[in-house]
Amino acid sequence: KITAAVEALHNDSDNIAFLENILDDLVKNGASGEAYQEALHLSASFLNRSPLDQFSILPLIPMKIGNLYFSFTNPSLFMLFTLSLVLLFVHFVTKKGGGNSVPNAWQSSVELIYDFVPNLVNEQIGGLSRNVKQKFFPCISVTFTFLLFRNLQGMIPYSFTVTSHFIITLGLSFSLFIGITIVGFQKNGFHFLSFSLPAGVPLPLAPFLVLLELIPHCFRALSLGIRLFANMMAGHSSVKILSGSAWTMLCMNDLFYFIGDPGPLFIVLALTGLELGVAISQAHVFTISICIYLNDATNLHQNA
Amino acid sequence: ILLIVAKKVGGGLATIGLAGAGVGIGIVFGAFLIAYSRNSQLRNELFSYTLLGFALTEAIALFALMMAFLILF
Repeated sequence: KITAAVEALHNDSDNIAFLENILDDLVKNGASGEAYQEALHLSASFLNRSPLDQFSILPLIPMKIGNLYFSFTNPSLFMLFTLSLVLLFVHFVTKKGGGNSVPNAWQSSVELIYDFVPNLVNEQIGGLSRNVKQKFFPCISVTFTFLLFRNLQGMIPYSFTVTSHFIITLGLSFSLFIGITIVGFQKNGFHFLSFSLPAGVPLPLAPFLVLLELIPHCFRALSLGIRLFANMMAGHSSVKILSGSAWTMLCMNDLFYFIGDPGPLFIVLALTGLELGVAISQAHVFTISICIYLNDATNLHQNA
Repeated sequence: ILLIVAKKVGGGLATIGLAGAGVGIGIVFGAFLIAYSRNSQLRNELFSYTLLGFALTEAIALFALMMAFLILF
């Protein structure tokens, strides 16, 4: 155990001075000497870690009612932080009733985010890309903005990526998908089930096709949430693993490793850049998939 | 000990699934090149659809990578 601790701390198991220190301490004080206990504690904290520890949810203010835990946790704190960030951003940029006519940089970025969503909505749901049916716009706009800011906020060092838990993304995608199904039934009555049958299908084949169409329909709800979760979690985990190996290479007292160290460092740099792109694009993909499913539900394969 | 060894072996096997995703990414961008050479309407539609297809295909690659991480740790 001591060798393991020394290895973890100094990355080579023959650091004589450290071992001598522990040996002296053991000889003097037996098994309850200070240096020995410290080394034990350090080895315990090094040996049981895994790269998935950054995703642990810690209750900050535990509140328990009966058997349900309503505690205010890590993700809740960061979601509140994102919410306040977005609201403050929009508020301070468009003060005095709408900002200037010639926008400065902050205002044009807010306008860019705000203007992005109606294009998506009109393109997917509107019939001939006219300005139709704006009743879906607020929900999709909120989804897109919050996903964008939550993904981007996970890139800050030592912060917590909220969307990298599948509880959160699956909850969001299931709720939205149930909403889409309800909207489809509300708008089209039971003709909604005719969405499952393409035109011109011989009648004996029909029940089989309906069954076969329901399976991808249910799978879409799952895949929407899992796509977002898997992207975020895999990105963060791989950055953590690679940076751990880069740090280990840096600490080894060996010139060969020191020269080869910029290898993993550049990979970490490239992966962080890729993650920024993935953060933005996954918010976009989520939103555009929701628009496509809404289009399918409300327009029933018609094109106009 | 067998559990630890089995975890490492499972992690290694699970990353074989990234091969198909790599092929898929190549297909998406190859189709983009062919479409762009036919009809140069870049930066209106083609490039945004390319990025959309890239994100969706990369999602499958990340499903496989996530399974590898879950098995490995």
